[in-house]
Amino acid sequence: MVGKHKIIGKPERRVDAWGKVTGKAKYAEDYTVGHQLWGKVLRSKYPHAKILSIDTSKASELLGVEAVLTAREIPGSNVFGIVVKNQQILADERVRFLGDGVALVAAKSKEIADHALALIDVQYELLPVVSDPEEALRPGAPLIHGDTNEFVHHKVRKGDVAKGFAEADFTIERKFKTQFVEHAYIEPEAVLAEPAEQGGVKITGSVQNLFSSRRSVAEALGISLNRVQIIQSTLGGSFGGKDEVMTSMCCRAALLAGRTGKPVKMVNTREESMLESYKRHPYVLYYKWGAKKDGTITAMEIRVVADGGAYASMSPFVTWRSVVQATGPYYCENVKTDVYAAYTNNNYTGAMRGFGSPQVDFAIESMMDELAEAVGVTPLEIRMKNGFEGGAVTATGQKLAHTVSLKEVLSKAAQELGFEEKWRRYRDAKAVAKRRGVGLACSYRGVSLGAEGVDAAQTTVSVQTDGSVIVSSGVTDMGQGAQTQMAQITAEVLGISVDRIQFLNTNTSGVADSGPTVASRGTVMGGLAAKNAAEKVRATLLEVGSELTGTPVDALDLADNYLVNERTNERLASFGELTAACFNKGRPMIGLGWHKAPRTSWHEEEGKGDAYFTFVYGANAAEVEVDTETGRVNVIDFVSVHDVGKAINRAMVTGQMCGGVAMGLGYGLLEEFEIEAGIPKQLNFDEYLIPTSMDVPRIKTVIVENEDPAGPFGAKSVGEPTNELAAPAIVNAIYNATGKRVYEIPANLERVFLGHKLTRHDKRGSEQKNAFDAVMVESCKVRGGSE
Amino acid sequence: MRPFEYYSPRTLSEACNLLAEGEPDSKILAGGTDVLVEMRKSSAWSSKAIVDITRIPSLRGIGESGDWIIIKPLTTHTEVLHSDLVRTHAPLLQTAVSTIGSPQIRNRGTVGGNIMNAAACADTVPPLIALDAEIMLKSTSGERVIALSEFFVKPYVTVARRDEILVEVRFPKLPANARSSFVKLGRRNALSIARLSVAAVVCKDEAGVVTDARIVPGAAFPRWQRVPEAEKLLIGQKPSKELLVEGGKKVSEVMISFTGRRWSTEYKEPVIAVLVRRALEACE
Amino acid sequence: MEKKKREVRNESSTGMSRRNFLGTVSAGALGATIARPVPRASGQEDSGNLPQVTITINGRVHQLRVEPRWTLLYVLRDKLGLTGTKPGCERGECGSCTVLIDGVTRYSCLTLALEADGRQVTTVEGLMQGEQLGPVQRAFLEEDGFQCGYCTPGQVMSAEGLLRQKPNPTIDEIQIGMSGNLCRCGAYDHIFKSVRRAAELRK
Repeated sequence: MVGKHKIIGKPERRVDAWGKVTGKAKYAEDYTVGHQLWGKVLRSKYPHAKILSIDTSKASELLGVEAVLTAREIPGSNVFGIVVKNQQILADERVRFLGDGVALVAAKSKEIADHALALIDVQYELLPVVSDPEEALRPGAPLIHGDTNEFVHHKVRKGDVAKGFAEADFTIERKFKTQFVEHAYIEPEAVLAEPAEQGGVKITGSVQNLFSSRRSVAEALGISLNRVQIIQSTLGGSFGGKDEVMTSMCCRAALLAGRTGKPVKMVNTREESMLESYKRHPYVLYYKWGAKKDGTITAMEIRVVADGGAYASMSPFVTWRSVVQATGPYYCENVKTDVYAAYTNNNYTGAMRGFGSPQVDFAIESMMDELAEAVGVTPLEIRMKNGFEGGAVTATGQKLAHTVSLKEVLSKAAQELGFEEKWRRYRDAKAVAKRRGVGLACSYRGVSLGAEGVDAAQTTVSVQTDGSVIVSSGVTDMGQGAQTQMAQITAEVLGISVDRIQFLNTNTSGVADSGPTVASRGTVMGGLAAKNAAEKVRATLLEVGSELTGTPVDALDLADNYLVNERTNERLASFGELTAACFNKGRPMIGLGWHKAPRTSWHEEEGKGDAYFTFVYGANAAEVEVDTETGRVNVIDFVSVHDVGKAINRAMVTGQMCGGVAMGLGYGLLEEFEIEAGIPKQLNFDEYLIPTSMDVPRIKTVIVENEDPAGPFGAKSVGEPTNELAAPAIVNAIYNATGKRVYEIPANLERVFLGHKLTRHDKRGSEQKNAFDAVMVESCKVRGGSE
Repeated sequence: MRPFEYYSPRTLSEACNLLAEGEPDSKILAGGTDVLVEMRKSSAWSSKAIVDITRIPSLRGIGESGDWIIIKPLTTHTEVLHSDLVRTHAPLLQTAVSTIGSPQIRNRGTVGGNIMNAAACADTVPPLIALDAEIMLKSTSGERVIALSEFFVKPYVTVARRDEILVEVRFPKLPANARSSFVKLGRRNALSIARLSVAAVVCKDEAGVVTDARIVPGAAFPRWQRVPEAEKLLIGQKPSKELLVEGGKKVSEVMISFTGRRWSTEYKEPVIAVLVRRALEACE
Repeated sequence: MEKKKREVRNESSTGMSRRNFLGTVSAGALGATIARPVPRASGQEDSGNLPQVTITINGRVHQLRVEPRWTLLYVLRDKLGLTGTKPGCERGECGSCTVLIDGVTRYSCLTLALEADGRQVTTVEGLMQGEQLGPVQRAFLEEDGFQCGYCTPGQVMSAEGLLRQKPNPTIDEIQIGMSGNLCRCGAYDHIFKSVRRAAELRK
């Protein structure tokens, strides 16, 4: 079918479009049932403390309160965690960060529930707080779990770095820092948990990873998996963020529903969401490169410390991607990389779009520009010199067997922006107040989970007797368009139009556990499973068609909603007639599609392996204007180039590319979730600044398509690679404009102007007393220029 | 949100009576862009009653009276943005409101609210002080007129009593030989509060000699005020590039004399000087 | 919420003096003055004592009793089931709750329901033309002007408000006009295209 696609690569509308433009799409908070109660969480007052006692008696007596729960009342397991089980649904003996839950209330209204929370008396004994990951790794630091705060150490070893540095003409050694980043999905977390008719519970919610949440709910209630049903409502953005925070919300709502026998709804306010939810990891990165005068890199020694916050969450996986990709797509024979993660009393950190790559890409691509300058070539030239080509062997010893398009995307990005000419012109320009600059960044990125975990997915295609089709998948849609892509793939295989397909929201009781929809695996994994399912249905339909018409199967095709004779182009039956015949003949109307990713490998001790089954390549070029007298940076032009293998839906691919850049721009220039001594400073969008429509420039997008046999119709992933390059491209552009490099992001007013961050040294951080009140009062500081 | 009582007077005297005799701990609702934000948090919200003055028609509108422009407190930022009178006689105020929040906030927020809320970064206040604005407060015990520059004590604190309603903001039209500007530095291009801002008015005679200069920094001083030390540098001079730089530096110096050296001074000291210079350049 | 919603069609306002519109909510300071033996929290009042408002929403007149502290956003969603309007930050920063009040874009989270008394409110549900999409909705659908869709009703309303003021906006005017609505998926470029397309469709 390759070469004559009818649906693939066409600008099909999203299957969820109508609901979204009419306001009919139902997000978790839009679900309401009769007699539902409101669940609320009492959170910790301190970032680190022992719980001495909890008195819930006053809260329980309040009229309208139907249940008050603490850790002691949980019938099953109170702990959960995808990699390391050390997170609690409710803290029992100790709170480890300000977002920890301590008690739950279910009441007839939100107001009553809030009031009841204020009546719960918790006595704490304060413990010392550690809020800096490097401090946390030093001897004598307060311990968060067990006897060490170091809970991850991944390494990569290749060649001999000592030898590599000895061969070098010079070395470059730099320290970089990145910040906590909030996912800032506009839809706050919400669930509705209803006691199920046959026991157990049914949960509808804004859950990204339904199967891991289901496991924790079952364990918390002490019941089997088949009695917990989780249905994903339309997700108002996730970006990796609606995982553990939703698991705990699902467990809490289910516990309250179990206790009261009534439906319980829980919704976070924005402040609660920012306070409790996990963030993107801040990294401290130490990079040391040795190089020859011609720009050849002889050694890379890299040490990274990630702030894991209070719980393990996805840190072991996130940091693993970092260790694999820490050298960038560049040849180097001698590599030694160590990535550590440390527990602290900060918000725990986990999956966020990019998943361990934005941090290292910022460091790698900054280093690359420094190398170019040291050698006396342009940023493009240095990358063309060192960048991977086909058959390259990566730092982990993996030989790249697919089309390596790094140089293709790089040169396209540079050309589209006019990079070389501008870079020279801006470098040599007069030192006026407002200066232009251009910057370049590129990357390679492993597709899907890689050797991180089990990688398989299921999709079901079910044809109806009227020719309509229902598709459901264990791979979920968070707004990125996974449903539309799977619908397009199904439609392509069945020769029908996309509007015949109805996509069911994922329901844990309706599809098989397909693992998490993370790591940009939706298109590849869900798509291949959909293709597999649709091909099974297609085979049955063609057989039935052959029996009906007497035409041999190999002369038949499904096209334009008809069964056709491929040789004569004669329409033999409508798709609906064919599916009806299929039913009447008692043939299976359903195809179960399954896809398991190709083998990958990893040797943790040796720090080597075939980490991912394939990679994608991307390059970004940014043009900025820097006001050197204030530190204000405006991005005025931007080019994003990505090799996506094959664009199933061009409009959606373009949308992902623009969206990734917007989020990357926020990462590079604006966004910073600051935590001081365990106390977060920004809890709503007045202080946590994400880009507005006025901050994001027009983005030129270039889609490169080198079809990859590892994906459906050659398609690979696009969601995350688009998000990892904007920040380094912008920071490099700032350097081109000013001659001053920013080593810590975001490159905000103060960092660009002064070269460092301004820190308020007030009492608030050093004193734990009333930390929670302080943060809440602070958070409602009144808007300035508004009334 | 905690419960409260709600009053919606239809006349000014009704509103004054409510404030004088009603719930002592009441809050006036005008645009609501700050009050409603405050109300959401029970820890910071103690008022027991809201007096919604938005249905008092006499508190709305922009007009002129001789050499004066009169802006009623419920006039929204959007209305100021579209006012020909403001464009002609106080263009810097128009620039300032165009930088406030977003269309929805400008449609809602009012000039009166911006003043009465007294946030350090209120965008209309520096231009209004530079316009030599005065305001009229009314209560059951009468009216009083105060120069806006005398009105603020410190951020979020003014000399207004709890029973007083702001009923009018007025300022003399800028003379024909005046040039004015408003410069704001924010962290992003919309929904942005002022990190620092400067309003400036400069009048010159036919020879190009400065006859009047007014400089009002925003989000820089403990309270809003003109900076006579810097203004004096300009008056009687033909501004050169160096003079404008000097004017900026003077403002910075005066700022530090008020605030002392604080954690943010390292940034504010040079940058406020730049913004003042730019505001003055824009008046050239 | 146990309260019955009272919704009456086409009844005019009672004309009751606003002076009498006193909220009658009971609780005092949190936790301090709760009388035993039956503690009561706020939010349990008898709806009969609540002030009544008349709001025309999407052309339908609604008469309902509201607590003074209820925002328009809350009433639209929780009392009237118009869940197209979304909460995002509840402090006037994200724009997902944008509606038109008397034709002008406003954050419904920063508007008390009582303030909407006697006014015309339009929500995303009100842009439908029968079963057909309104021009702005159609434009967003055609130009792929969204991803996750959560901010979309607010974006659509801001576009509608903008086009009512400026039927032929320039690209700058579109950027400014849409600047009160955050889109974390970063679909701004497609949103701008949608607004331009909507301007054509409205002609």
